[in-house]
Amino acid sequence: MTALLTTSTRGRRRPHLPRAVAPYAFVLPFVAIFVAFSVYPMLFTLRLSFTDWHGSGGAQWVGLGNYTYLLGNEAFWSSLGNSAVLWLLIVPVQMVLALLVAVLLDNARTRMRGFYRIAFLVPFVTPLVAVAQIWVVVFDQDYGAVNGVLNLVGLPDVGWLTTTQWAKPTLALLFLWKTTGFIVIILLSGLQSIEPSVYEAAAIDGASRSRRLWSITVPLVRRTLMFSVVLQTLAVFQMFAEPFVVTDGGPYGSTTTAGLHLYDHITRADLGTGAANSFLLVIVVMALSLVFVRLLRSED
Amino acid sequence: MVTSTTHRQPTGAEAGRAPHLPASAPRSTGRRWSAGTLGTQAFLVVLALAFLAPVAWALVSAFKPATQIISDPLGLDVTALTTENFRRMFSDVPIGRGFLNTAVVLLAKGSLTLFCAPLAAYAFAKYRFRGRELLFGTVLITLMLPTVVLIIPLLLEMKELGWVNTYQALILPGAVDAFAIFWMRQVIAAVPDELLDAARVDGCTEFGIFWRVLLPVIRPALAGLAVLTVMNIYNDFVWPVVAASSSRMATLQVVLSTLAQNITGNRIGADYATVTGELLAAASLALVPLLIIFIALQKHFINGILAGSVKG
Repeated sequence: MTALLTTSTRGRRRPHLPRAVAPYAFVLPFVAIFVAFSVYPMLFTLRLSFTDWHGSGGAQWVGLGNYTYLLGNEAFWSSLGNSAVLWLLIVPVQMVLALLVAVLLDNARTRMRGFYRIAFLVPFVTPLVAVAQIWVVVFDQDYGAVNGVLNLVGLPDVGWLTTTQWAKPTLALLFLWKTTGFIVIILLSGLQSIEPSVYEAAAIDGASRSRRLWSITVPLVRRTLMFSVVLQTLAVFQMFAEPFVVTDGGPYGSTTTAGLHLYDHITRADLGTGAANSFLLVIVVMALSLVFVRLLRSED
Repeated sequence: MVTSTTHRQPTGAEAGRAPHLPASAPRSTGRRWSAGTLGTQAFLVVLALAFLAPVAWALVSAFKPATQIISDPLGLDVTALTTENFRRMFSDVPIGRGFLNTAVVLLAKGSLTLFCAPLAAYAFAKYRFRGRELLFGTVLITLMLPTVVLIIPLLLEMKELGWVNTYQALILPGAVDAFAIFWMRQVIAAVPDELLDAARVDGCTEFGIFWRVLLPVIRPALAGLAVLTVMNIYNDFVWPVVAASSSRMATLQVVLSTLAQNITGNRIGADYATVTGELLAAASLALVPLLIIFIALQKHFINGILAGSVKG
């Protein structure tokens, strides 16, 4: 009777997990989901990348065939090239703009900081599909609001999403607009770990505002900047949904990003090639990340 | 690389009111609106308006007659405002069903992430066990992989399991993502061991320590994780399009993207106006719930990210 009571009441006699077993129990739910829906498909893709398979029937082992095919394939390189151009249009601009805004928002003398933080994050939390559609309508060549403004000041229509020279900048602008607010917040977290005394010393020494920004702030948030650059490099090279909804990769493939090209293989049921393309993209992204980490570290 | 940040100053209490100068800030000239600050303000205002304009334009245009959105995209005739776009959109696409499906997925997948990720991260951060390094290394690798990589094999797996066009397919893959584990581990590692050991001495069970001691301590970061998770699930679109494209299972984002493809498909004439109107109505409806959640919880969200991200 008493034994029953003690086991059913809270307290130290309640049977519980021994400390040595607890961690296994704690990771178990995660591991079950992780192995079933991340690790297993990852290994499956790796194996698939060495085969010729179109979704049904037997898969034929082709060794490195898919990889060598892609490395000699023009569409693969042009998709990487498109992503590289988008990277150039996005990442440098974004880092400068986000750092500038973050520094201003970190300054206690700036008014309405709460409002700005919300305003810059609104595009980030807005569903991408909704945002992309706004872009389609606003940048429409014949009916869009942007060309409406151009016409008001006497300028001719621009084919924002229909000409090869403008489609990439328009897509880059969408990405910049959507994600800059998040980078601002990440940089802000880096800025807030700088001791204010560092600035005071520089101000006493007579360093100008721009001088302080360049020689104190930038070096001190270098690791945060590095993290942001790597994060955005991953995001730009994986970019899929933006071109998928806004331009469908066109015009003339000019916005077919590396991420979108991957999807082309899937729609053509060329699954082995798609898998190989995935891993080539992973290698590119990992190499780029390592380069940035090196570059930003070596400035020490 | 990532540690919890020590805040130089409280970040929450400065929502839009007069700035409180920290005692240590370099003393300004006393003039509040010098040329420099005026320039700064002008820059920030213009930039903020540019960030808000497209969303504001969409919200307003959704209430304009469809033909006017196209003939006069910038004009606003207040007397002509109408809910016609919304009514037509409701009858043309299963947006109600989309909201329902998204809500189901959000609830199930969100709870899974918010429970399993901190629990596993707790084990990674505070226990030694066999396979810990290997497992965490694998987590880091998946962090680097583009999610598109997994689409083909996951879809095949869903077919094998007979899960195509089911809630399981929408909920389970990616339910506890690598980023959540990675982030929570950083946050939990910063919690002092003494706090947890004290609870252990008091006779708390191992799970009790997690539930009653640890979770309350990491509440700010959890709030940040909650907002990010809700946002990711709500906005997720690639996997749902592939795995659950039937109109019965379509989530909100799938409904939206189907509408969008109508527009790229036929671009001419009155049809274009109608679809554009419906599109803006649907987009507006989709972004309103998230904007409300974000504005209501923005302090937690921003502080959560500040509490859990990279140090300079």
